[in-house]
Amino acid sequence: MGKYGTIARLHELLTTRQISCAELAKKYLDAIETDNGRLNAYVKATPETALAAAEKVDAKIAAGRPIAPLEGIPMTLKDNISTAGIETTCCSKILKGYVPIYDATVWSLLKRQNAVLLGKTNMDEFAMGSTCETSRFGGAKNPHDTGRVAGGSSGGVAAAVGGNLAAYGLGSDTGGSIRQPASFCGIVGFKPTYGAVSRYGLVAFASSFDQIGPITQSVEDAALVYDAISAYDEMDSTSSGRKEPALPSLGNDIRGKKIGIAREYFDGVREDVNGAIRKALDVFRSLGAETVELSMPSLKYSLPVYYILACAEASSNLGRYDGIRYGYQTAHYTDRNDMVCKTRSEGFGAEVKRRILLGTYVLSAGYYDAYYKKAQNLRGTIVRAFENAFQKCDLMLAPTVPMTAFASGRTAKDPVETYLTDICTVPVNIAGLPGISVPCGTGADGMPVGLQLIGPKFSEAAVLNAANRYELAARESSFKAVKAGVSL
Amino acid sequence: MVTHEDVLKIANLAKLSVAPEELDGLTKDMNEIIAFADTVSAASADVSDFDNINGLSNVFREDVPVPSYRREDILKNAESSEDGYFLVRRRR
Amino acid sequence: MNYELVCGLETHVELATKTKIFCSCTTEFGAEPNTHCCPVCIGLPGTLPKLNKAVVEYAVTAGLATHCEINPDAKMDRKNYVYPDLPKAYQISEYDQPLCRNGYVELASGKKIRLTRIHIEEDAGKLVHERGNTLIDYNRGGVPLIEIVSEPDIRSIGEAAEYVEQLQAIMRYIGVSDCKMQEGSLRCDVNVSVRPQGSDRLGTRTEIKNMNSFSHMTKAIQYEMDRQIDLLESGEDVVQETRRYNEETGCTEGMRGKEDANDYRYFRDPDLVAIRVTDDMVAALKAKMPEGPQKRLARFQTEYGLPEADARLLIDRRRIADYFEAAAKGTKNPRTVANCILGPIFSRLDSDAAKDEFRVSVSPENLNALVGLLDAGKIRKNLVKSTLEKMLDTGKPAAAFLSEKDLAGVNPDDLRKICEQAAADNPNAVKDYRGGKEKALKAVLGAVMKMTRGRANPQEAEKILTQIMKA
Ligand SMILES: [Mg+2]
Ligand SMILES: [Zn+2]
Repeated sequence: MGKYGTIARLHELLTTRQISCAELAKKYLDAIETDNGRLNAYVKATPETALAAAEKVDAKIAAGRPIAPLEGIPMTLKDNISTAGIETTCCSKILKGYVPIYDATVWSLLKRQNAVLLGKTNMDEFAMGSTCETSRFGGAKNPHDTGRVAGGSSGGVAAAVGGNLAAYGLGSDTGGSIRQPASFCGIVGFKPTYGAVSRYGLVAFASSFDQIGPITQSVEDAALVYDAISAYDEMDSTSSGRKEPALPSLGNDIRGKKIGIAREYFDGVREDVNGAIRKALDVFRSLGAETVELSMPSLKYSLPVYYILACAEASSNLGRYDGIRYGYQTAHYTDRNDMVCKTRSEGFGAEVKRRILLGTYVLSAGYYDAYYKKAQNLRGTIVRAFENAFQKCDLMLAPTVPMTAFASGRTAKDPVETYLTDICTVPVNIAGLPGISVPCGTGADGMPVGLQLIGPKFSEAAVLNAANRYELAARESSFKAVKAGVSL
Repeated sequence: MVTHEDVLKIANLAKLSVAPEELDGLTKDMNEIIAFADTVSAASADVSDFDNINGLSNVFREDVPVPSYRREDILKNAESSEDGYFLVRRRR
Repeated sequence: MNYELVCGLETHVELATKTKIFCSCTTEFGAEPNTHCCPVCIGLPGTLPKLNKAVVEYAVTAGLATHCEINPDAKMDRKNYVYPDLPKAYQISEYDQPLCRNGYVELASGKKIRLTRIHIEEDAGKLVHERGNTLIDYNRGGVPLIEIVSEPDIRSIGEAAEYVEQLQAIMRYIGVSDCKMQEGSLRCDVNVSVRPQGSDRLGTRTEIKNMNSFSHMTKAIQYEMDRQIDLLESGEDVVQETRRYNEETGCTEGMRGKEDANDYRYFRDPDLVAIRVTDDMVAALKAKMPEGPQKRLARFQTEYGLPEADARLLIDRRRIADYFEAAAKGTKNPRTVANCILGPIFSRLDSDAAKDEFRVSVSPENLNALVGLLDAGKIRKNLVKSTLEKMLDTGKPAAAFLSEKDLAGVNPDDLRKICEQAAADNPNAVKDYRGGKEKALKAVLGAVMKMTRGRANPQEAEKILTQIMKA
């Protein structure tokens, strides 16, 4: 696909009638047939849905009517975004066979623009994991090296977009689940401000952290998709509504902008990753940005705070899977209580069960104050630390992940060690801030490295603009091409 | 230290059954995760009553009915239903 | 030893909103199972709650009517427990920041039963047990409730019943609930303990769940009191537990098993935002609040001159009190209006349910017009009742049954002729009267009234008859 199968380029191909929308959709569906076995990005393909939308778009084009930027663009949704009539299982056995009867708000917004849904993509079970390997279907593979993980939890979306099996996708980010796999797969992952995008229809993991966002091939695409999904939603009480569209501000000068570097973000970061980030900083300086050194000691509590609070919320959110109204039910039981316990024990995987148990523990009588309440107050402390930091700078820059994508099959030996990979991504979720991961070259192993830009609440336009400035300035050196999927 | 008994109690609250052969491993995992979580107890927070990340208030819905869903859709995903009810059979 | 009852109540009242607390499904009672449901109220994955504004308004109004402090900074919490009637495995409720606190309800004796709190929460679905199978209907799931928690200030079964009646009257009055115990829109959990008379220590209490009728409640408290006294008398301890009232045996029984897992793991619901009740909101709700039953009772006696017993019967139901006030508007004869309601109208509403409904074919305006004729002297009092009966039979206004002759009364010449005729028809009475028996005149007067079908002015007729009979 030339060099990049970006949304803008596909839109141009469609409007100049170089390819019909149906042909385009078929190319992607064919590529999924061929390459998904290798990447394990999709857990369900939806060719009828895709082709039906594509035909509508072709009819519009044939009638000479203009099409919107996202119309007819082949895309994917993480398997935790509800799609009426299409199985949505969070890659968990417990939701096996569950077919939603309503659409997530983000999906109805995109559907209205005739988005071409190619299928639902792989993820860690209930978004709990950093490798995609807790999925009932096994992990998604990294398109740069299929011996390595695509990352998680939105590993399937990242593998699909990184492997040219979709132009873009929507993932969800609770502790880094959009940015981390985007970083591992060498593409762009954007987590908006908490409340900027409706959560209605996103199967909840941790309600006060979860946020839907785009995974794309370019920052411009991320802005385009963000603008399309960030409408105020009546159905979500925590929906704030977008303050300003991001796309029009791309191209603004970043001269004189202050970029904060908190030293805590660089503790334990692998040397080659650190090197790639430092090089990226030079690019920012060359664009006229200034850097400001910061210290945020409370960041060291981010991981335990995140795991306590997210697991507490998850333990409550996942209580509803009892085998009665939807999803899996155990085959044999002695009474109702036994049915519920067996259904849950057989339906949930090991990592999900561990987190439910931890969450139950930290909320239970006698432990609430020591864990849950304490963690809430530390969350407040971290929120305040970011507020103070943004007094001194406009944006912050950090690695997305302290390492590059690691080899498959390493997960779950040691849960705590796996948790540590989230160290640079969770603070953004704790404080409800917008954060983006942009490719910034490769590590010593040749695998992509991502840099993370973080802004104050509702500064998505500024975050996307700075990322876009960097991407354009560093493009040749920051991206690594992939031989997989559709080529046009 | 979390004991076998604690794990069983928590599992009962969470409606998860723990097979005897899982108990050792799970208790070990739990202890490791809780030791990790314990780092917060030593920390000092300069905020004392934080519990709301969205910072919003008074987001309400008007009291106006809209038609409910069709019952066949409501029951569609259930393992069993009978006479319009969700059904849990006594045993299976 | 003499023991006294120490009792507090948790009363769940279903609010009279049109829609559920977190979704737009109707709250109507009595529909086919699972027909008032949507993805939100059956807890489908990914759904989110959105708080119904009317729920907050009703709850604050309930708090104001029971002298509560209104919490300016309330929030919603999750109460986690797994049970099939609870589709999300948690109930959204209020834990440590309820909307209303520190109120009271005053009994007729002047004693105040203190209220600890009033909070809002969602109702659960309904389970039907059949041959060991469980059938679930979520129509009631998500119907808004207020839970009204009293302090243990109640000292007798009579006080307990009066407290609930008062709550019922208040809630109906301010329109926040119809409080129909038979439909479950008012349910009580009763905390019962006993202690030696005069002691100020609290005994161990038990909680009797889900009382849905007055008679069950009073029987259950009596049984539980007796049971606890027996235990104490025989030197045993009362065990703190939750009990259920068995309607068939009239006994309370321990609910084993449900207890062992009661650790609700409350925490703030992250899907909902803060509720900030401003002074302006409170002022607006206060201004909209109807007068409470106690005030109205006093006013009906002073303003309309009604006897207390009659006033009580009228204010018992707000609908009836409102009807009375509309019908009595501007009249000189409010007691006649009251008698019309308590007589002919009530005799057609023979059950409590019928009185609750208060379906009357005569509008208060038509009753007001009928009494207006009396005020204007156009009809006699004794014609009011018979005309009202006809109006109730047909739903037509008074004018339909009163001829011009009725409305005009009887002219004086005609009246004299009729009186003469009546005297002639009753020679014995005339003789008795002339012999000194003054009462005999009444018999002749009765005949006159009969002949004029009540249209004659009895004072006028009496005057004429006196002249005739003395002659
Ligand atoms: Mg309650
Ligand atoms: Zn509903």
